[in-house]
Amino acid sequence: MTPIFELRNVTKAFGVGKERVIAVDSVDLTIEQGEIMCLVGESGCGKSTTGRMVAGLLPPTAGQILFKGQDITKMDRESYRAYRRAVQIVHQDPYASLNPTHTVREIITAPLLRHKKVRSRSEAEQRAIELLEIVDLTPAGDFMGKYPHQLSGGQRQRVSVARALTVEPEFIVADEAVSMVDVSIRVSLLNMLSRLKNEFNVTFLFITHDLALAKYFAWEGRISVMYLGRIVEEGPTPRVVTDSRHPYTQALLSAVPEADPELARRKRRMELRSADIPSLLNLPPGCTFHPRCPFFVEGQCDVHVPQLEPIPEGGRVACPVRKSERIELIAL
Amino acid sequence: MANDSMEWSFQTGQGKNGHIPLSLENVHVVYNIRRGEVQAVRGVDLELHAGESVALIGESGSGKTTLGLAIVRLLVKSAQITQGKITYRRDGQEVDVLSLKPKEMREFRWKECAMVFQSALNAFNPVLRIWDQMLDTARSHGWNDRQAIREKSLDLLRFVQLDPERVLNSYPHELSGGMRQRVLLALSLLLEPQVLILDEPTTALDILTQRTILDLLRKLKEEQHFTMIFISHDLAVAAELADRIATMYAGAVVELGPTEELFYNPRHPYTLGLIRAVPTVAGGFEELFSIPGSPPDLIDLPSGCPFHPRCSFATSKCQEKEPSLTQVGPNHFAACWHWHEVEQELERNPLHRGVHAIKEGGAS
Repeated sequence: MTPIFELRNVTKAFGVGKERVIAVDSVDLTIEQGEIMCLVGESGCGKSTTGRMVAGLLPPTAGQILFKGQDITKMDRESYRAYRRAVQIVHQDPYASLNPTHTVREIITAPLLRHKKVRSRSEAEQRAIELLEIVDLTPAGDFMGKYPHQLSGGQRQRVSVARALTVEPEFIVADEAVSMVDVSIRVSLLNMLSRLKNEFNVTFLFITHDLALAKYFAWEGRISVMYLGRIVEEGPTPRVVTDSRHPYTQALLSAVPEADPELARRKRRMELRSADIPSLLNLPPGCTFHPRCPFFVEGQCDVHVPQLEPIPEGGRVACPVRKSERIELIAL
Repeated sequence: MANDSMEWSFQTGQGKNGHIPLSLENVHVVYNIRRGEVQAVRGVDLELHAGESVALIGESGSGKTTLGLAIVRLLVKSAQITQGKITYRRDGQEVDVLSLKPKEMREFRWKECAMVFQSALNAFNPVLRIWDQMLDTARSHGWNDRQAIREKSLDLLRFVQLDPERVLNSYPHELSGGMRQRVLLALSLLLEPQVLILDEPTTALDILTQRTILDLLRKLKEEQHFTMIFISHDLAVAAELADRIATMYAGAVVELGPTEELFYNPRHPYTLGLIRAVPTVAGGFEELFSIPGSPPDLIDLPSGCPFHPRCSFATSKCQEKEPSLTQVGPNHFAACWHWHEVEQELERNPLHRGVHAIKEGGAS
């Protein structure tokens, strides 16, 4: 089957005066229909930029983005519109992404009517109620007349998802969609998203800085780790989480605090050679992680840009030095 | 003051010898807003032992930050400490914090008890270099020896692993988020306070930066024996740093106990709910559960135990009467009528936590 998305050598550069920042650098990524792909990394690694390009909100500077085999920059008007409808994005901040002067009713029915998903206002009303029920805002009737400020963060995020569902998307980009929501509510939001995947076969690009969330949400999917615009490691979630190979992935996993005192105590610490992240305006040559990497090999890492290479355990790793080395994260 | 960065570890001698630098008794804080009275903190009792770190955990609106601000009396004007007592002790002397006059309070703050705020950028004056802010802080507490202040500042910046000369001459905006957080930590230590209150010390930071700060705080705790209160919504930060944890819900401490006890043998349904809602990275894969409903309206609290509308253990008793903290184990207290049932529930459905959970499989 054709993958739902294929990113080929995608690069995005932003201009800063005379200088250029390469936010996303030659990213190759394939997302299969119905899977969950998780992009993780620290701020500035290019994960949101990648998500925005996939959703058609930003054009790539170079490279190709194929949606079901078709280059999105070369589509005719009709297919481009179908693509934009099929791919929806849910943003991080539910306080900023909903119009504060519109009621939930207006927020949900407007796209239904605009995209002619329904034939009449009463049908729109009916469909809106169904959608609110899908995202667990029940009794749905109670929410229709409410304004965003009358809702909690978690409820707002559910409205954002319901709005995305109005156009029956096949693909949702969830950009830190649960990061601003309280711990106790987060899991139910994630479970609701999982249900969309299972019941409506929605494919997800889940963008997060939180490795524990990525692990939980994408356990049956894949994780791609980004660092300074490049994907440094990619693979099935269980493999990436328990048997990571790229030193940057390992650094992240060993640095993440654990909500379990015993694990926290026994976790292996990885000492980096430098604590500071290089500026995107002045990237180091070769592997961009080399100034911080404890496994740095002079003459190799600072010269050659490592390419993602497949490993037998699953997925790809952009580190020729360490790709076959296993480390234990926890001292048992 | 000498160049030796360890000289300011003045507290080491006191150690854990039963000294209690800070105690809170029945503290209540109310915000008066148009809609009514917000019961932000409702009757908190807490004793802080020398050299220990206590984490206040809970969701937004649980009252943890308000409690921290109440201790240093930096609450907004609409808030009022309506009841209770805060006692501070140092060198055999006792101070009633709530009856301090404004001038004495300024002395107390920073010199005895410093607070590190969540947003490190807003805590600085943007038009002053770090050095001037250090100097200002010292001078306003009557310390005028420029040379000594400079040396102390350099020591502290070195301690937080920054390039001291460069940082001292920088403006706040020239520093990254993690650097600012570290500078703020250094600044809070300038006057050698006995108690440090840290409000979400690592929340807005990236993972690797967060690790640097966590390790620093751990060092501060283990080597310098600072007495610390951490305020965090992140259970992982509490697991890393706290000796004891206090779970807050609707303005009250609903569970209090040693960190491992709280994580492995929680007795309050809310603490249990939080733990079951948070995944680990290095542990096995486990199913997570969210807590139904949403946090209560602090103006119009549910009757009885404020957690009862969200609680699967709730009975009619919970709707009628609010439980107070009772002892459920060694140094372990919970405010729940049904803590025995929570215990039984955990026997039936144990938490897959700790190292044995990994050995049992799942992840590896």
